[in-house]
Amino acid sequence: MTHAESQDLLLDLAYGELDAQRAAEVASHVEGCAECRKEKAALEETRRMAAPLRELEEPSPGFDDRILAAARAQAQLEHDGNVGQVIEVTGSVRPLGLEAARVDAHGPVKARPTRRDRPRWVVRAALGGSAAAAAALALVVGNTMEARRNAEKAKAARSEEYAIRPQTAPQSLDSALRDAEAKRDADHLETLRMKTAQPPAPPPAALEKEKVAQLRAPEHKTLKKARTKYASEGSGGELPKIALGDAPALPPENDVTRGQARAPNAPASAEVASAAPSAAGSGSAQAPGRVAEASTESAKSARDERVDAVPAAPTRGRPAEVGVAVSPGFAAGGVEASAQQARHAGNYALAASLYRNAADLRQRAKDVGGAAWNLAHAVECLSAAGQFDEARRVRDELARTYPSETTALSAARRALREVDPPSAAPVQENP
Amino acid sequence: MAQERTDEELLAAYQQGDPRSFEDLLLRHRAPLFTFLLRMLGNRERAEDLAQETFLRIVKGAQAWEHRARFQTWLFTIARNLCVDQSRRDRFRRADSLDAEGPGDEPPMVDSVPGQEIDPSRGAESALLRPVLQRALLSLPTEQREVFVLREQAGVPFREIAEMVGVNENTVKSRMRYALEGLRKALAAAGVSEETAAEEPAPGVRLGRA
Repeated sequence: MTHAESQDLLLDLAYGELDAQRAAEVASHVEGCAECRKEKAALEETRRMAAPLRELEEPSPGFDDRILAAARAQAQLEHDGNVGQVIEVTGSVRPLGLEAARVDAHGPVKARPTRRDRPRWVVRAALGGSAAAAAALALVVGNTMEARRNAEKAKAARSEEYAIRPQTAPQSLDSALRDAEAKRDADHLETLRMKTAQPPAPPPAALEKEKVAQLRAPEHKTLKKARTKYASEGSGGELPKIALGDAPALPPENDVTRGQARAPNAPASAEVASAAPSAAGSGSAQAPGRVAEASTESAKSARDERVDAVPAAPTRGRPAEVGVAVSPGFAAGGVEASAQQARHAGNYALAASLYRNAADLRQRAKDVGGAAWNLAHAVECLSAAGQFDEARRVRDELARTYPSETTALSAARRALREVDPPSAAPVQENP
Repeated sequence: MAQERTDEELLAAYQQGDPRSFEDLLLRHRAPLFTFLLRMLGNRERAEDLAQETFLRIVKGAQAWEHRARFQTWLFTIARNLCVDQSRRDRFRRADSLDAEGPGDEPPMVDSVPGQEIDPSRGAESALLRPVLQRALLSLPTEQREVFVLREQAGVPFREIAEMVGVNENTVKSRMRYALEGLRKALAAAGVSEETAAEEPAPGVRLGRA
């Protein structure tokens, strides 16, 4: 064993990372080498002094509660064959898959009865994938299973009054995660606010409740005004639009559900009279439906699920103001600005989701470069948020969709290289 | 008789819909993860928040998890990334606070609630020394601190740290050497040596940031 080798392996020796033979080799060199001996002694001394740092500390009581609640809820979901956020639908609705989807129109929605013997008809609709939904809602219709069966053929189509209320229990994983992220934002923004003369951030309490809306605070007033104007004039001007329906001049009522679905704190009383039964899909409970989308736009890619974190329309509870159409290019600018804002606020999950929406819009505006860069930013933000799997998916999507945008692609790859979780760890190394 | 199940087995069972397995996982990793974050951040509340977020992310990603790396590596990678993120913000905030005058200046983020650190089962001198050590630790650059804490407290081998952090193993080890050296200097500056380590440190010992 050379001196250099020994020097290199002193740390491994100290931390027990050498096999017995190698350890013996290093030890025997150290014995005869003053320099190594000194270094080893210093190393050990520092470790002894730092020993109290090794002692385990326990988080406060109650730490587990929320995690376990989330874990249980998620396990149950997975076990039921659904992935993602739950929408509970109770009642009698004919094309039920569609009606469930109406509540939150993005992502593949799977709706089916979980227990046939239950008096009430319970449907879980999972909003696909880990990108996940912004809010879990319960649709409640006061009919029984029996009534549903009887009504299925004729009556049900007409009994379409929904009461929508948010899922209040904190066991929803996504809402828990959002809370956690919001808390970080709140902590961060609060400090910033205290430090600067002109507070750039809303108070943390409000932020926690409505971080998404708050992040866009500067735009709200204008938007709202514009919307009111739009509504009163009844014309489709070029207005920035938050909710990404981005269908051409959609009558506002039709987009009702999206705004509702995104508002985790929507008042329990919020009632939505559903629009006329959708002509689109089958009544099959298994039918993946994206009704609001379907009614406005026939085919959207599976990427729709990412719409989830689009900022809630600030005027939740007032559905008529939710959907306003604009040109994709124009809307993209607004979404990009929001994305950047969220990113600077450190809310990477939200920023990523906004960037992806912006990418869609750019794509529709035939702006390939813009779309590719937005996806690259999304990859960066997802990586920063620790969502590597998702980041990789977006990176792959970027590579697949815009193979010519090499600069954006390499930016995305760079972002992932930094944070990519370990790939199959080589257990053995060949010397 | 029943052999203790590995983390990966527990996670696989959780994937199959058994929430109890996750409970076991949480129980097993809660304290190490929290301690890691506490050492990294020096702040109990934030450490708890991030630890909670880390586990929530695990829950969320559990279904898609594949046994390519150890569970522990995954767990600490998430926590580490959250931490790096947090440190960036703190740095930004500190830079911010330099411009601000007066009371805006924040004390170093070390829990200094009297008694909080004291655990009779661990010996008073260790408890008294820990805040000093924690401050010394916080004076290290983040990339050194994380390597030190991951290796020293969390027991993650250098090679896995390298994977987590995204640098090669030699870089990790050289960061570790710097960390140990920096810690040694910081402790010396605080009047802590191996001889005095057993004694009560001078009250109000504060370390400058490197």
